Amino acid sequence: MKRDIPDLVGGVLLAAIGLFVVFYTLAHYEIGSLRRMGPGFFPAVLGAALALLGGMVALPALARQDDAVQIAWKECLAVLAAILIFAAGLDRLGLVLVTLTSVLIASLAAPDRRIGWRIVLALVVTALSVAVFSFGLKMTVPLWPGR
Amino acid sequence: MNGWDGFLHGLSVATQPGVLIYCVLGVLLGTFVGVLPGIGAMATISLLLPITYYLSPEAALVMLAGVYYGSQYGGAVASILLRLPGTPQSAITTLDGYPLAQKGRAGVALFTSMISSFAGSMIGILVLILLSGALAQAAIAFGAAEYAAMMILGLVAASTVGAKHPAKSMAMVVLGLILGCVGTDVNSGEQRFIFGQTELMDGINLVALAMGLFGVAEVISNIRVAERTGVPPRVALRDLLPSRAELRRIPFPALRGASLGSFFGALPGTGSTISSFLAYATERRISRRSEQFGKGAVEGIAGPEAANNAAAISAFVPTLSLGIPGDPIMALMLGALVIHGVQPGPLMLDARPDMFWGLIASFGIGNLLLLVLNLPLIGIWVSMLRIPFRWLYPAILIFVSLGVYSVRGSSFDIFAVALIGVIGYALSLARFNPALLLLGFVLGPLIETNLRRALLIGRGDPMVFLQRPIAAAFILAAGALIVMAVVQVLRRRAPEADEAET
Repeated sequence: MKRDIPDLVGGVLLAAIGLFVVFYTLAHYEIGSLRRMGPGFFPAVLGAALALLGGMVALPALARQDDAVQIAWKECLAVLAAILIFAAGLDRLGLVLVTLTSVLIASLAAPDRRIGWRIVLALVVTALSVAVFSFGLKMTVPLWPGR
Repeated sequence: MNGWDGFLHGLSVATQPGVLIYCVLGVLLGTFVGVLPGIGAMATISLLLPITYYLSPEAALVMLAGVYYGSQYGGAVASILLRLPGTPQSAITTLDGYPLAQKGRAGVALFTSMISSFAGSMIGILVLILLSGALAQAAIAFGAAEYAAMMILGLVAASTVGAKHPAKSMAMVVLGLILGCVGTDVNSGEQRFIFGQTELMDGINLVALAMGLFGVAEVISNIRVAERTGVPPRVALRDLLPSRAELRRIPFPALRGASLGSFFGALPGTGSTISSFLAYATERRISRRSEQFGKGAVEGIAGPEAANNAAAISAFVPTLSLGIPGDPIMALMLGALVIHGVQPGPLMLDARPDMFWGLIASFGIGNLLLLVLNLPLIGIWVSMLRIPFRWLYPAILIFVSLGVYSVRGSSFDIFAVALIGVIGYALSLARFNPALLLLGFVLGPLIETNLRRALLIGRGDPMVFLQRPIAAAFILAAGALIVMAVVQVLRRRAPEADEAET
């Protein structure tokens, strides 16, 4: 069975988002008239358009072969974890510790298995970010835990 | 202020030390990220956006613009040496640049691309000066209907011209428009789609959106790819000198490329990538040596490189004179202007002459700098290609997170970047273009406001868009583009269907 999975999934998801926007808008916001549009008019029209376009992407994809898509799971996970930890830890751990941790986690995705370069990189990036953002731009952000 | 006086005034602004230094910084940084495959102007500009809060508006815009046109110079380096486009605009340069490099003529290819880029930029600046004054004059007569119609035309053009899957492109634009609705509705004060998150009351943060889509998503997809690049050859300064015969083959293709680029760059929706492809096709068609194309024809570098640089400059025409960004990078520029309290549009010429002419003059200075600096520095730029991506991307992620945090000291925005980054990666896996999403996002609120205003003035009659000649022309053009896209798709599908039956 021939299927273009990325287009199919993408199209269906977009159509679903479009329909959701239409129904949510109809339920919550005033549509108004062409002359006096309410806050719901524009989103409702856009939602319908997105639903239509999503269908137009998904339907032809049913009868088409896809080029195999490779998902970079490891890279995606490492990057995501690094940012999330940074977001969660910035206020609590302070800039220095959270940057060190995040760089080390992000570097897990790299194909180079060695350790030394990761530590050097973490130290350099931390020094740079403290220098640029804390001293250079005078951003108010704690450097160490518990300020 | 006429063009010449304006330009002189702009020079006095752009040569102030506080502005000039950011011009230098911008073009150097632009070349750097242009050279490196894996980070582009889009990611860099969104990364720098929050930092520009700390600068004067003139310095900020001069720097961001410098990154943009600087990256067009740098993009060719990786294209020529590694057959790996540093930027999407320089993809076409791989066709003849890489074969030249393999023949040991990498220096000549680099010289051709630099000098043509410079020529393209200069012609782009001329077009920008000539056109934007005239356009701003004409645009004073524009009403809400014309603005709405023009923006719709821009979005339709961006998603249909040269697009392989117009439905996918349009879906991205519409999704962007919807995301633009999030937050407080300016007309009614109603909070739309915030789902109880007070952080969303001001809308989705442009910086978070741009950084997620272009910083984080590109890092994820490039970690694996960028490690496989080969080792670039060394290029010395004397290798740059072309032979006299080669030199003679540069000016006319560069001139033709620059004219094409200036034209398409100034049109909303068609940008520098398309014009570089068109320039290549043109050169191949009219050349007497068309059999050399793809095997290392100098013309195949000169035309497209001049075209993409000219387009990068002339793209500022609609952005500055109408306040309508023609491509996603211009959408970010517009965002930067608005952040700094400058409302681009027909009135900007008179209200903010320092900004307007200073920016234009800085293009001249910046491009001159690029030419003067890049030729001697070429060895350094080439050696940048030896930096492994694994040393860069963790730093990019930290700077993205800190940058978005610095906008309003909110960790919520960092979480948002992570989420948007994953969405952006998923979009690029399924070959949806996230740049169009950003364009829709920036234009969304502008379109909605003008649409509502136009219909209010027109007493709710949609014919208001067809009764006014300029608006009608825009709408008809948009309609024609959609029809053309549909015809194209159907025509392409027909042979496929035949195959399926047999």
